[in-house]
Amino acid sequence: MAPLLAAHALTKRFAGVVALNGVDFELRPGEIHAVCGENGAGKSTLIKLLAGIHPYGSYEGELLVDGRLAAFHSVRNAEAAGIAVITQEFALVDELSVAENIFLGRAPRSGLRVDWPEMHRRAAALLADFGLTISPDAPVRTLGIGQKQLLEIVRAMDKQTRVLVLDEPTAALTGQEVAVLLEHLRRLRTQGTACIYISHKLDEVFAIADRVTVLRDGASITTLDTTAATLPLVIKHMVGREIADLFPKRRAPVRALSSSAGGAPALLEVSHLNVAPARGAPPFLCDVSFALRAGEVLGVGGLMGAGRTELLMNLFGAWGHRLGGEVRVNGAPHAAPTPRESIARGLVLVTEDRKRYGLVLEQSVGFNLSLSHLHAFTHTGRIDLPAEQVRNQHFFDSLRVKAPGQHARVGGLSGGNQQKVVLGKALMTEPTVVLLDEPTRGIDVGAKLEVYELINRLTEEGKGVLLVSSELPELMGMSDRIIMLAAGRIGGEFPRAEFSQEALLAAAMKRAAAA
Amino acid sequence: MKPRHLLQNFAMPLALAGICTFFALRESAFLGPRNLTQLIVEFSITGTLALGMLLILLTGQIDLSAGSGVGLIGGIAAVLVFQHGWPAPVAMLIALVVAVILWTLMGALIVRERIPSFIITLGGLLIFKGLFWLVIQNSTVPVARGDQDNLYSQLTTFYLPGSVGLAIAGGIVATLGVLTWRGRQARLAHGLTVPSPRQAVARWLGTALGVIGLVAVCNQFRGVPLSLLIFGSTAGIVYFLTQHTPFGRYLYAIGGNEEAAVLSGIAVNRVLIGAYLLMGVTVALTGFMTTAYSGASTTTVGDLMELDAIAACVIGGTALRGGRGTVGGVIFGALIMTALLNGMTLLAVSPEIKFIARGAVLTIAVWLDVVLGRAKNQG
Repeated sequence: MAPLLAAHALTKRFAGVVALNGVDFELRPGEIHAVCGENGAGKSTLIKLLAGIHPYGSYEGELLVDGRLAAFHSVRNAEAAGIAVITQEFALVDELSVAENIFLGRAPRSGLRVDWPEMHRRAAALLADFGLTISPDAPVRTLGIGQKQLLEIVRAMDKQTRVLVLDEPTAALTGQEVAVLLEHLRRLRTQGTACIYISHKLDEVFAIADRVTVLRDGASITTLDTTAATLPLVIKHMVGREIADLFPKRRAPVRALSSSAGGAPALLEVSHLNVAPARGAPPFLCDVSFALRAGEVLGVGGLMGAGRTELLMNLFGAWGHRLGGEVRVNGAPHAAPTPRESIARGLVLVTEDRKRYGLVLEQSVGFNLSLSHLHAFTHTGRIDLPAEQVRNQHFFDSLRVKAPGQHARVGGLSGGNQQKVVLGKALMTEPTVVLLDEPTRGIDVGAKLEVYELINRLTEEGKGVLLVSSELPELMGMSDRIIMLAAGRIGGEFPRAEFSQEALLAAAMKRAAAA
Repeated sequence: MKPRHLLQNFAMPLALAGICTFFALRESAFLGPRNLTQLIVEFSITGTLALGMLLILLTGQIDLSAGSGVGLIGGIAAVLVFQHGWPAPVAMLIALVVAVILWTLMGALIVRERIPSFIITLGGLLIFKGLFWLVIQNSTVPVARGDQDNLYSQLTTFYLPGSVGLAIAGGIVATLGVLTWRGRQARLAHGLTVPSPRQAVARWLGTALGVIGLVAVCNQFRGVPLSLLIFGSTAGIVYFLTQHTPFGRYLYAIGGNEEAAVLSGIAVNRVLIGAYLLMGVTVALTGFMTTAYSGASTTTVGDLMELDAIAACVIGGTALRGGRGTVGGVIFGALIMTALLNGMTLLAVSPEIKFIARGAVLTIAVWLDVVLGRAKNQG
């Protein structure tokens, strides 16, 4: 069968850096073809070539669509050829409605006016088709991050698309939403739509893809049939070495929760916490109680909207209005804190949305690393720049940030390396309690391992880690104990011995079903 | 370096050189000591306000009230001196305190009530204009009684004696030398790399030549204008603030990503109010200098100065959405704006054309910056 889309010896250079080095790639009609690789392997560059963002002529090699040379000079050219790219960044207008976003720039018209009833009808049909219960009239800003991602996919599916390129489409989705998405991709496949599927989640890749192409250091290493390949084999090709254990066993002695002589001291105590989104609003988090001890990783799970992020943000002082309950950090009351006070007390937050809440993208790696800790380098009002640079370099090296140096613009780094910078910024403040919200979202296997190692190191140093993750295997692999949130309440608490996907999911669904 | 990058890095010096060459060819007096001194005074006035504006723009905010404020604060001091016979230093101090209070209040309104700074300072523009005209009762209020000189009237007419100017230049050069040396030692002590001694000395000598040359040019006429000293001190302080203090870092962080700044533990409200407070100080300094330059407070003093200040910042590479801008850039921007105005005045260009030329330069500068910046980002 002639390939729908083929790339021959694609090479793309940026100011002396080779991002793609002779990549060959082939997409057959009606196939789902996964592209895997570590951060910096060249996936993003490849997508940008396909999408027309890097125009024809700025690279070597050739791109063929239906066997004919494709010379895309813009995104519009690529879309005209039937290639639609959905990236990790949302291309949605927050202030417009769901329906308006779906038909952005191509609204149904009657005469010169927009045909609103028609738009509403078609949007409702599309959403229903996709199994979504969002109102077409809801403003996009009221949607959760997962719903926004699904909306993007709905919009692309409505365009006359022959090649759907999905870049980390499930990074923010819950298990149920992922299942829905994969189902739709399969349905599209039977209709002849081909799909390039880029994901760090290899279990998904094996669940959905027909073939997988592995990129490493800008080169295409191999293309395998998923029926013939195995997970370890793909990982081996990605990293160029074998990885024995996806979740490195914690070497830290479990000092937590030992019943003898009071056990380890509680670093963070939360009792009967009730939080509303704003003053006067009904409570969103209800009667949440738990304690985090030194050297412990406490996992926080739950479905989307269960209140995981909100809990962390509130503990840190960045969200919500407390209605009742008490929070203590290192034994000291921690009522209505500001982020500044939290950091001063040794409580730091690494946010889920690093671009929006974590980084000043235009500034350098070093600028971002020391941003929360400048006072430590400041004497009589003046920053000791050499001392700051040395400290930054220490974190730059120990976190193995892949960048030309700490002067590099942080916005130009890959997701995994940006995440390391956010982690470094938090850790430089020498915290005792680290709140991690989806610390491995959208980063590759190698970088994930490094984050896990880092968590191990923190607990070995006697710090406490509150880990929010929507990936149950990760939560179970890394936590000493897990609490599951369900509709703002604690649905269950599990010691390590009682971890099982079934029990955890049941706890997450418990109240949600009742509510 | 690619030609494009070269062009971007040297666009401002080239533009400035182009403007100066053009005027010098049309009117040889443009580069004469007398006109250069006058240009320096005008530059110091615009530049001081632009430095304050830089602090505001870095955070992504704006101040439209600066021009009216310049008139008002200069007017208050003039009325106190001329109509009430207060000593000039006391009158100026009072006016300065008023400016600091007004700008701190505006800053507080912007951050505490979350009202966009565009609206608050637009309100300020109108209110200060009205207050200004009330204060001077729509008349002309000289900055000194009779022919007596005072500190106020001398702000733009006093020139340092040649020897004092040279002494100050020497002091600056020596201080820079010591600071460079100390900086090198500190970096070496931390095991960091330093530029080669030859490079460091060459840079220092270059700066020394520039400073002494500037003083020498001024001495050809009457000496270093007092207003240049005021501007220079302000520039030094703003440079130090933006490059060497947490406050300055926070300005960039807030302008770059305010939400991330809050979550990084930065007291965003305090920093923003601080920026407006300092803006109040530069408004007062500019108000005194520009009023003194006109010799009296009249209803048009300060008109549109906020736009000149914003233009100087933007020409100098400051981003209006915040997070980007430097003191060096602002100095170049202010020089370009001032050289243009001064040159056109010298050639007796009509006011209509002056407005159009200023607008055109601003537009072209920003357009060039955008185009070259885009080229740079695409490698």
